[in-house]
Amino acid sequence: MTRRHFFGRGATGIGMAALASLLKQDAEAAALPHHKPSAKRVIYLFQSGGPSQMELFDYKPRLVEFQGKDLPDSVRQGQRLTQMSATQSSFPIVPSKYAFARHGQSGAWVSELLPHTAALADELCFIKSMHTEAINHDPAVTFFQTGSQIAGRPSMGSWVVYGLGAETEDLPGFVVMISPGGGGGGQPLYDRLWGSGFLPTRYQGVKFRSVGDPVLYLNDPPGFPQANRRVYLDALGELNRMKHAASGDSEVETRIAQYEMAFRMQSSVPELTDLSKEPQHVLDLYGPDATKPGSYAYNCLLARRLAERGVRFIQLYHRDWDHHGGLTKGLPQRCRETDQASAALIRDLKQRGLLDETLVVWGGEFGRTVYCQGRLTADDYGRDHHPRCFTMWMAGGGIQPGLSIGETDDYGYNITADPVHVHDLQATLLHCLGIDHTRLTFKFQGRHFRLTDVHGRVVKPVLRHA
Amino acid sequence: MFLAWPGCADETIRFNRDIRPIFSDRCFACHGPDQANRKSALRLDLEQAAKSDLGKGRAGIVPGDPERSEVYKRIVSDKPALRMPPAYAGHAPLSERDGSLIREWIRQGARYEAHWAFLAPESPRRPATRLSGWIRNPIDAFVLARLEAAGLPPSPEADRTTLLRRVSFDLTGLPPAPDEVAAFLGDSAPDAYDKTVDRLLASLRYAERMAIRWLEAARYADTNGYQSDGVRDMWRWRDWVIDAFRTNMPFDRFTVEQIAGDLLPDATTSQIVATGFHRNHRTSAEGGIVDEEFRVEYVADRAETTSTVWLGLTLGCARCHDHKYDPFTQKEFYQLFAFFNNLPEKGFVYNFGNEEPYIKAPLPEQERKLADYDARVAGLRHELESRQPELERAQRAWERKIASGKPLDWNIGEGLVFHDPLDGPFQLNKARQFDGKDFVLGGAEVGRFNYRDPFTFAAWIKPESANGAILSRAEDYFEGQGHALYLIEGKLRLHVIFRWTDLGMRVETEEALPLGEWQHVAATYDGSMKAAGVRLYVNGKPRKLKVLFDQCIWPIDSKEPFRIGAGGGLRFTGAIDDVRVYNRALAPAEAAVLALLDPVREIAARPAAQRSAVQADKLRMCFLDRGAPKDIRLLRARLALAEAQRKLYHDQIPTVMVMAERDEPRETFLLKRGAYDAQGDKVEPGVPAVLPPLAADWPRNRLGLARWLVDRRNPLTARVAVNRFWQMLFGTGLVKTVEDFGSQGEWPVHADLLDWLAVEFMESGWDVRHILKTIVTSATYRQASAVSPALLEKDPENRLLGRGPRLRLSPEMIRDQALAVSGLLVEQTGGPSVKPYQPEGLWQELHGGKGYTPDSGEGLYRRSLYTYWKRTVAPPAMVNFDSPSREVCVVRESRTNTPLQALNLMNDVTYVEAARKLAERMMREGGASPGERMGWAYRAVLARPAQAREIEVLESAWRRFHEFYRSNRREAERYLAQGESRRDRKLDPRELAAYTGVASLLLNLDEAITKE
Repeated sequence: MTRRHFFGRGATGIGMAALASLLKQDAEAAALPHHKPSAKRVIYLFQSGGPSQMELFDYKPRLVEFQGKDLPDSVRQGQRLTQMSATQSSFPIVPSKYAFARHGQSGAWVSELLPHTAALADELCFIKSMHTEAINHDPAVTFFQTGSQIAGRPSMGSWVVYGLGAETEDLPGFVVMISPGGGGGGQPLYDRLWGSGFLPTRYQGVKFRSVGDPVLYLNDPPGFPQANRRVYLDALGELNRMKHAASGDSEVETRIAQYEMAFRMQSSVPELTDLSKEPQHVLDLYGPDATKPGSYAYNCLLARRLAERGVRFIQLYHRDWDHHGGLTKGLPQRCRETDQASAALIRDLKQRGLLDETLVVWGGEFGRTVYCQGRLTADDYGRDHHPRCFTMWMAGGGIQPGLSIGETDDYGYNITADPVHVHDLQATLLHCLGIDHTRLTFKFQGRHFRLTDVHGRVVKPVLRHA
Repeated sequence: MFLAWPGCADETIRFNRDIRPIFSDRCFACHGPDQANRKSALRLDLEQAAKSDLGKGRAGIVPGDPERSEVYKRIVSDKPALRMPPAYAGHAPLSERDGSLIREWIRQGARYEAHWAFLAPESPRRPATRLSGWIRNPIDAFVLARLEAAGLPPSPEADRTTLLRRVSFDLTGLPPAPDEVAAFLGDSAPDAYDKTVDRLLASLRYAERMAIRWLEAARYADTNGYQSDGVRDMWRWRDWVIDAFRTNMPFDRFTVEQIAGDLLPDATTSQIVATGFHRNHRTSAEGGIVDEEFRVEYVADRAETTSTVWLGLTLGCARCHDHKYDPFTQKEFYQLFAFFNNLPEKGFVYNFGNEEPYIKAPLPEQERKLADYDARVAGLRHELESRQPELERAQRAWERKIASGKPLDWNIGEGLVFHDPLDGPFQLNKARQFDGKDFVLGGAEVGRFNYRDPFTFAAWIKPESANGAILSRAEDYFEGQGHALYLIEGKLRLHVIFRWTDLGMRVETEEALPLGEWQHVAATYDGSMKAAGVRLYVNGKPRKLKVLFDQCIWPIDSKEPFRIGAGGGLRFTGAIDDVRVYNRALAPAEAAVLALLDPVREIAARPAAQRSAVQADKLRMCFLDRGAPKDIRLLRARLALAEAQRKLYHDQIPTVMVMAERDEPRETFLLKRGAYDAQGDKVEPGVPAVLPPLAADWPRNRLGLARWLVDRRNPLTARVAVNRFWQMLFGTGLVKTVEDFGSQGEWPVHADLLDWLAVEFMESGWDVRHILKTIVTSATYRQASAVSPALLEKDPENRLLGRGPRLRLSPEMIRDQALAVSGLLVEQTGGPSVKPYQPEGLWQELHGGKGYTPDSGEGLYRRSLYTYWKRTVAPPAMVNFDSPSREVCVVRESRTNTPLQALNLMNDVTYVEAARKLAERMMREGGASPGERMGWAYRAVLARPAQAREIEVLESAWRRFHEFYRSNRREAERYLAQGESRRDRKLDPRELAAYTGVASLLLNLDEAITKE
């Protein structure tokens, strides 16, 4: 058994019979990787709520001409709107309030709101032609993270650790971290986004938290020191071994191993979150929030540390990008909270030689409309959800740096070249990890399910040119 | 794979057992039922098609001749372009074993069989066995015959304590108490075990244990499950389920009432509550969703859940296209869908409680109390009635008195929270003039109503412009948030808005008001969250209304001040006078009185016959308010109080969402690709053609469907139900794929046993207790679970049932056991869900807001069945141990073994506190020495005496702990401070801490969390 996974490792000690039944279940993933991987792991920087592509990446100079005019029907083409703006009496076009410039050798357009990201333009690959099917948050985020708008499917990270296992024995293979965004929280998130769906629950994401225990129930109770825990586990192990001898049940052996792993986690997780040995210049790179637990910057720094320790899928969520109104206040705030740290993560990975083997993905669940939602005033406006086009970026393992693909029309409303669907992005992500998305399947309710359902194609242009 | 069983004498290849699984998994997608996806004329799911001429003398299958059968030739072809399944589509070739099975099957004649699960079960003949003494009931004959065929002996019976602990968990979800163990061990009667089983089955605990798996299948939860995951109240339905198991309601009735209780003749409240089953699905209150998209989703969920729970079919696969493996068309999915499509419901639901349709479902005690309130109100009304003549006389005297007294005017004062006469005493000729720019501020708290607060806005106006704001407490732009009364193109219009586009209410009069005239306007709203609860009056007369928007289901808390003559970006031109705001919706008669200028004294001075009805009303109201005798005024006040109290009581009676039918049936269409807005052909309610038809005399609605589900001819319902009972006891169903009895499902290892149980179940009158008793009293169930290496080698998954089940306990059993053995468990049946301990911040980090506040006291210690279930952040201690999230129907049990479970059991305050309480019991009840106490704890937790070595190991750990705490009293006290329950102060904390460590260890033993 070459595959190793944090939660599955106990299986290496179990009898052949149980192993056989385990392999039967997982047989479909047995031949992995399907091809030579270009990345060993993923850091996914999910910007929850739908960041506005209009203000950040998708530069639309002609909007100034169209300012205040209604979105022409020829552009909207009967596209459905959310019920939040469907009954709006007018759809006045509003241009970005923020200036754009070209950056780096590649000349990528990035707005003034993201100076740190802009400075790294030559490391990034922008996809300006992302599109999705869902128009509301819950189904859209669920779609992005599980490949289906309906609850119950495994999340992307679960598929990956199910397929590849992890490179560490002391930490979970799939870790999730959440930062709230300083604007009051924003859209909710749901356990299902990192859930394992119908895959065994050992593949679900483990949430690292900034409140209380960093991993649920990690710390021993007050007044029960680690020395006691060792005594405790030795006795427990001995009694369980007696039970194993009497029952012949290999599950007992697995349980003994899992208790030992829990014990190891009690030291590996605090070691992970102990930033005292990080040099000041690294902390400075991530900015003033780097040592503030629960901030995006802190989570980015932790993401690098997790990557170093062999965690396979590192999923961050930053909340509160849902700017229906008050965009000019909220959006710059979100950018200040994330820009420096996102860029720092790329730089930090690079200087450690980890960027080439780590795939970094940045993006939300959909884009925002070119027209104003709610009240358009001299200094404020808002934008509704827009599934038809939005921008994401990727970087690192297997991705061509300094590239922009995809185009949208002058209104930033429709894609005019190289559309990339959510399933395409998922297929591409798996491809970088050495996985053929059509062959990573799991049989459930009589069907061989996969992350990309029956869709998805690898976006070849973004793959690093040989 | 079953050919591989050693000793299996049957060399005949059987289509259902051996071939269908291969065809289904590897071939049917292109050569099966899905018409749209069929890649050639060849179909392998139908015998005739598979064997028919494909042209040029070729046939897919030539019985007896594999080498001439196109199917076999293509399977073994070494040319990638010809080989099936096709390499070009990325499919791997069939395994050698599968290939030779197909070859052998064709050689033997390629006999097809109808899919076993679609043929009604018949009671099979009991097989002969060599070892007859082992058999306790027919189950054992089937199991033993199979074991003997495989050359395996059954295992010996489990020892009595193990058996008692096993059956106690299986039937009640809780371990046996030490006295129950002692009683059982002391009862040497041959029927001691049977009596115990009867006792367990008769307990309330049994009903609770049975309920939890049903709740999971029914995707029961306390929240809506999408996005902001608002609250709902479905616990009255949950309690109905418990009660149904408590009274051993036959499974057919259990089915009919949940699917269609509301359609039964003279349906009782209980039968209607039962239909909550199909309102348990998730619902969305996310702003901006397309209503119909989600409504369709709910209906599909009902169809799919019904299909999984009763039929064991994956009909949901036919939602977007014909089924790929089973003979179900997409049209048939929508025929099933049609049964559930006639609910008067919305896709965009209320976020703060139950969505319509729902009913009040009072508990028996509440019913009694409500009757008391009603009686009190009726009594006071009657008393008031009896005083009428006296009251009439008093009024006449009063009228005479005031008619000759000093000038008196009066208007309605009850509920008046704001009154601005604007220019002193009310006189229209002295009204405030507005020039279309200015306005008057009313005050910060005036009109601060929420979306469910009733209110009345009223004023005299003399408009000079057709557009303007009269009164408002709203943002000063038209699409802003808040309450406002406007004139828009001359029409009187009321806004109650949270968000213009989708949350709020807008109502206007059909006709415009004249300009330049004085008129009285009033708007009333009864707080019902519906535009139907709004009235607009002009000069005291209700006007015909036009509802512009009707979705007032979100709280409003406007920070804006109350403005007269302004709001919504509009200003008033003309005059306004006598502005009134009430905190209740005035009745129509009151609205008329409000608009009546005639002073009371003048009305009183008129002869009664010359007074108009409104005048008489005004006089009467004024008299009751001012002039009535004191004791009658008191009586009226008492009545008002009694009515208010009754309403308050009535308001807090629990509701439950239920099924109902629309008056005008909604048409159902096939939805192309499953998309809500891509309607295809119209379909009528119906059942799949491959299954028996609906009887002619059943109605074509949910009731007909329910009757069909539990009809004796239905081949699936009974099999699927008994298979789940089997899974509940043995961990794996006789058909492992409990959710799929179709082609892709598992062919049952014990097909005859499954059929015997299904028939027995139906013939017993769908008696759930009978079936469970039959299973747990079988020799099969009573076997020891210890496994020898030889047995493990031959039957690793125990599919042949040559040993008893050894399984980790379910999440709720693990927690409930800890509460029970520590003495913390509070056994109380039903009621609203409770909030036990949960790590801080879990809700906030995903949702923000106030987060989770654990209960205090009893709520911390109820059985886990009652734990509050928030779907998007499910209780971690349940999910860690493999509870489904309750987002969709889940019927398969799963068990994993992870380090997070270890951390949970060692460190969660629930278990640390339980360990402390168990330790206290050890010290108080367990004897004097550490060894005795360890032994006592073993019996308490594991129901068995400890072995010497076990005591030694525990004692040695205890000494180490004790050593530490002896010199660290403060640490001991911190350790013991976990959890809300009080610590027994009489016990030495240093010793107690050491015992707590040991008790925790015991609760973490593999054996403790395992049913052996």
